[in-house]
Amino acid sequence: MEHMELRKKAEDRFITVGFPTTKEELWRFTDVSPVASAEFSGEWKPSSLAFECMDTICLVFENGRLSMERSCVLGLPAGVRIGSVMDCADARIGRLADSQSAFVAANTAYFGDGTFIGIADGVELDTPVHIVYLADAPGMVCHVRNFISCGKNAKVTVVEEYIGPSSPVGHPYWTNAVTEVFVDDGGRADHYKIQREAPDAFHFQTLEAHIGANAAFSNHAVAVGGALGRNDIRGKLAGQGGEAICNGLYLLKERQHFDTHMFMDHAVSDCNSHELYKGILDDKARGVFCGRILVRQDAQRTDAIQSNKNLLLSRSAKVNSLPQLEIYADDVKCTHGATVGQLDEQALYYLQTRGIDPVQGHAMLTFAFANEVLDEVQCGPAREYIGNLVQAWLNEVAG
Amino acid sequence: MALLEIKDLHASVAGKPILKGINLTINFGEVHAIMGPNGSGKSTLSNVLAGNEAYEKTAGEVLFAEQNLDDLAAHERACAGMFLAFQYPVEIPGISNMYFLKAAVNAVRAYQGREQLDAMEFLDFVETRKKVVKIRDDLLERAVNSGFSGGEKKRNEIFQMAMLEPKLGILDETDSGLDIDALRIVADGVNALRSPERGFLVITHYQRLLNYIEPDFVHVLVHGQIVKSGGKELALELESEGYASWSGEEGP
Ligand SMILES: Nc1ncnc2c1ncn2[C@@H]1O[C@H](COP(=O)(O)OP(=O)(O)OP(=O)(O)O)[C@@H](O)[C@H]1O
Ligand SMILES: [Mg+2]
Repeated sequence: MEHMELRKKAEDRFITVGFPTTKEELWRFTDVSPVASAEFSGEWKPSSLAFECMDTICLVFENGRLSMERSCVLGLPAGVRIGSVMDCADARIGRLADSQSAFVAANTAYFGDGTFIGIADGVELDTPVHIVYLADAPGMVCHVRNFISCGKNAKVTVVEEYIGPSSPVGHPYWTNAVTEVFVDDGGRADHYKIQREAPDAFHFQTLEAHIGANAAFSNHAVAVGGALGRNDIRGKLAGQGGEAICNGLYLLKERQHFDTHMFMDHAVSDCNSHELYKGILDDKARGVFCGRILVRQDAQRTDAIQSNKNLLLSRSAKVNSLPQLEIYADDVKCTHGATVGQLDEQALYYLQTRGIDPVQGHAMLTFAFANEVLDEVQCGPAREYIGNLVQAWLNEVAG
Repeated sequence: MALLEIKDLHASVAGKPILKGINLTINFGEVHAIMGPNGSGKSTLSNVLAGNEAYEKTAGEVLFAEQNLDDLAAHERACAGMFLAFQYPVEIPGISNMYFLKAAVNAVRAYQGREQLDAMEFLDFVETRKKVVKIRDDLLERAVNSGFSGGEKKRNEIFQMAMLEPKLGILDETDSGLDIDALRIVADGVNALRSPERGFLVITHYQRLLNYIEPDFVHVLVHGQIVKSGGKELALELESEGYASWSGEEGP
């Protein structure tokens, strides 16, 4: 078994460090004690969940375990490898995701399966790869690990989707995922993450992207599920001319708590990073957005934009938004901003004067708010899929 | 039956009385113009008629085709055939103009018990309306009024009016911000919509618009009251003399 040492070290660290508490700056607004104190003794079982397969290459996992019967990875073009991460011997696994986070440490120590995607230099895979993680085993932990390698001047689109049942499983399960992405010089990797876990599930993921010279990486993260969750999205622009787009949408209701921590590291000059995060929150939901952009001394001519906008549909919903810029270079163009607000009354009135009743107007404006993020989704099937998901969520909230 | 009957209308905004006893009757087929100094209450009147809840009607009565406006919410007024072209049209990012127009047209049709237009029928309808009010295709594809120039917004308002075919069109300073050619196009559009089944209330500061859209009556609104009414020659009088003889009679 490869990576033995890596795993042992990670386990030691997880055992000594343990779960973070709200006393730690990075975890100030997210209390993970429900995860830390839960007992995860659930047994593996095949999943009875159905899902809608995009017209793509598809890899399906049932409660953390790859199911070849439900997957469809036949007829891959030359230079494309897609399969279980357990069969991948790439020495770069664990190289990005070695942060101090307990969640990453636990994943590295215990991951039992996950996806490996390798695209050779110069190969452009136009068909998206849909990775589906089905979870419905009460009390289970799924430490899944994904490793994506996009070679020089190569191209890949990946949709990572986490699906749970629409009603609580009773004894919550915990998805703890780590995804590492290398985009080599001139490559392009577009990554989508859709999180629609069971309403009582815990979902944590760390995504690490290493972006080479003239390479492009994009991530669109949509979160609608889970009781308690967090995305840690960390990008490093390591070569000149690199570009990163990290957008997201979190749609939360009832007592859901979802946290997004973003870190974009401009290590070298002439790179762009754009981040647009939007949240719609109803009932007593709580959202956290923390976006940190680091522009190092050598990162001249950096162009970085970050914005986080939130729409509160109820008085008891709440958002903590903390955009942060840390700039050590002098020739840069950086902006950031955050808003938290309600629907625009003037716009609602305008729609009404055109015959549209307030209920429909409300729905139209709420969808319009989310639409700014959807508009940025380049991959057609993903845009349609996510658009339907958003519409379904809005109908549920309105109904 | 009158198209619109306003009887002794009083209204306040944020607790401040603005309209102080308006009386005005518009019959089907007529075009009325309202002129008056800044802040006299012209937009307040149009908002009260359209049903903006920020404006409170404190006294009086308004009948729209014999229906009491108090009984109708803003969207019901629109569905019943009232249309307000805004002085400051609202930008709605994230909703395309076409999508918005289709929702509006079908909402009005549903209220009136008519069949919904499907995508194809709607597109055909848009084409016929583009003959009445010219509008660039890219403006129809873009988000409602988002980033439109002042003139483009105004033209979009009149295009919407052509799509919704109201009984009463209230045009609140639609001419301000329009260049000479656009003014012509908008005026031609309004004139094309003039019919015995329809009336207009045209709010403007400038006589020029009234050369194109000839009103049957002109009213002067000062300090929330109509202080003078007359034919279209009244607009010419105002153009040369201003409102000096009325202002100062009563403080705002
Ligand atoms: N929402 C509001 N809150 C407070 N005051 C308001 C509000 N809306 C209008 N007003 C006040 O009511 C008065 C009348 O305004 P209105 O917009 O009706 O004037 P107008 O005749 O349309 O002027 P203009 O020719 O400049 O468009 C003004 O003094 C204005 O400041
Ligand atoms: Mg006005």
